[in-house]
Amino acid sequence: MEWFDALVQGILLGGMYAQYALGMALMFGVMRIVNISHGDLVILLSLIGISIATAWGLGPLPVLIVLVPLAVLMGWVLQKAVLNRVVGSDPLPSLIATFGLSIALQNLMLQIWSANSRSLPGHGIESQSIEIGGIYIGLLPLIVLAVATGLTWGLDLTLKRTRFGRALRAASADVEAAAMTGINPRAVYAMATAAAVGILGFAAVFQALRSTVAPADGPAQLIYAFEAVIIGGMGTVWGAFAGSMVLGISQAIGFRIDPGFGVLAGHIVFLIVLATRPQGLFGKALS
Amino acid sequence: MSAIPYAATEVPEVLVQRQTRSGRIAMTLAVLAMIGVAAMPWWASTGTIRSVLVLCCYIAVAQMWNLLAGYAGLVSVGQHAFMGAAGYALFVLAQTYGINPFVAVFLSLLVPTALAVPIYLLLHRLDGPYFSIGTWVVAEVFRLTASNLPLVNSGAGMSLRVMKDYSAFERNVAMSLLCAGMLLVTLGGSYWLLRSRFGLALIAMRDNPVAAASQGVNVVKLRFLIYVASAVGCGLAGAIYFMAQLRITPGSAFDPMWANVAIFIVMVGGIGSIEGVLIGSLIFFIADRWFGEYGATYFVVLGLMTLMVALYARTGIWGLISKRWDAPWFPIRRKLVDPKH
Repeated sequence: MEWFDALVQGILLGGMYAQYALGMALMFGVMRIVNISHGDLVILLSLIGISIATAWGLGPLPVLIVLVPLAVLMGWVLQKAVLNRVVGSDPLPSLIATFGLSIALQNLMLQIWSANSRSLPGHGIESQSIEIGGIYIGLLPLIVLAVATGLTWGLDLTLKRTRFGRALRAASADVEAAAMTGINPRAVYAMATAAAVGILGFAAVFQALRSTVAPADGPAQLIYAFEAVIIGGMGTVWGAFAGSMVLGISQAIGFRIDPGFGVLAGHIVFLIVLATRPQGLFGKALS
Repeated sequence: MSAIPYAATEVPEVLVQRQTRSGRIAMTLAVLAMIGVAAMPWWASTGTIRSVLVLCCYIAVAQMWNLLAGYAGLVSVGQHAFMGAAGYALFVLAQTYGINPFVAVFLSLLVPTALAVPIYLLLHRLDGPYFSIGTWVVAEVFRLTASNLPLVNSGAGMSLRVMKDYSAFERNVAMSLLCAGMLLVTLGGSYWLLRSRFGLALIAMRDNPVAAASQGVNVVKLRFLIYVASAVGCGLAGAIYFMAQLRITPGSAFDPMWANVAIFIVMVGGIGSIEGVLIGSLIFFIADRWFGEYGATYFVVLGLMTLMVALYARTGIWGLISKRWDAPWFPIRRKLVDPKH
């Protein structure tokens, strides 16, 4: 029963990680870029959300409604001002640029919000739970999981069914060929990053509701997102989702074994997957 | 079919010029500086020796990162994993097992060597930017392992109390010699490597890995060797740094700050050149002394400068200088000169 409980908690935790991982999978799939400031953007959005909530006395839902468009705008600006200049086959420029951005963001947040941990007041939603078969499940983690599933489903459908999705997939397969068929890669890239950071807007609200955020927390979120993407297998949105579940379950079981072992257990599962199945659990092997 | 007229060609007589005047001047200065560092106990105070030691560690770590990112195309953000591993190895060997610390410094290098091999074999499966984050995960794994490992006193860290058996002067002599040796191995070793046959292969690989492979360069093997060499170099810097610190904790041993330092130094100074590492290290060292007290604001500026260099001046300061004046300090080119002129 105790282990089953850990499993359930792990899946719920995975819902949180999926919200970080989707954006990273999307950006890497389309541009072959990893944004090192990915986690710092989550924290920045969380802190902005907390400040908005305290200044205007808003509940979580209105904060979400304000924050997601803001995140989309941030992603668009990030692409226009920084990433469009560094996208290319050489990974160095994009890594260095976003690395510098990450250091600057972390310390800027430290200046503005100080090193204190903060959280978003949920007006009771964070402490409610429902009982299913002897296990108490927090209402908030359940909502997080549901939203993560919805986002994954929505992103998958967008990629498969819409004109924008087709343009994205074409650009990720071959930029030059896509450009020949009339797709503007820069515009596609800007929309992809806007969507990726927009999803982080959801993640930011839920992260701040579920636990606390502090300016130095970003790199940990980046690493979880990355591990989820690699465990699940690159190239598929549902792979990133499944990888998040595996990571969440590994951490939850690790925490149950020893509180000092939780995060390490996630890393170890990541390394085992890398050693035994480098294409990820649900990825296709490279020919 | 008529035979194609074939003119017998002779290989023209040329001299291969590999050294320049600027190179000879710089080499003389470098040797003098190295002697100066080795002789520090006789001219510098303990405080100065410590400052120079930190500067030497910056130079060594930055040059190791430069070899990885600038030549092998491996962008690591987790080289501090090997610094901390060697630092811990030194503390365990010297403090727990009672081995002479100045011998243990060299023995401790076995640990990063042994760790770098399996880690590279795992991480090289990751594509480009994902490799970088993978190196970061490895550093995190090291930090969390050290925090849970009773052998290294878990999260509480260790102190190098055996150093009190040596007088301050003896320690200064050892630190100065170690610093000079570290510079010789990391900078001198890199310079020697770049001037050798491997250097040609490395530069070819930096310019275009696919083309280099088609010319017979074993890119896979060379990348592996550079990764291991860089791990050992970082390990040496870590062992010396923590020997001077006399204390190590999981947080300080595996501090991502070192990744910031290496990236800032190499990118601002100029990637793919030894000159750039020296310029960048001096700038960072001075900036750290002058502006370090501003804390967060200082790091915001450092971060933005790194971003700006990546966006607008990818060759760094040395790139801008060498575009204007052709006077390399550490020439690695082979220039063909007609002896008749």
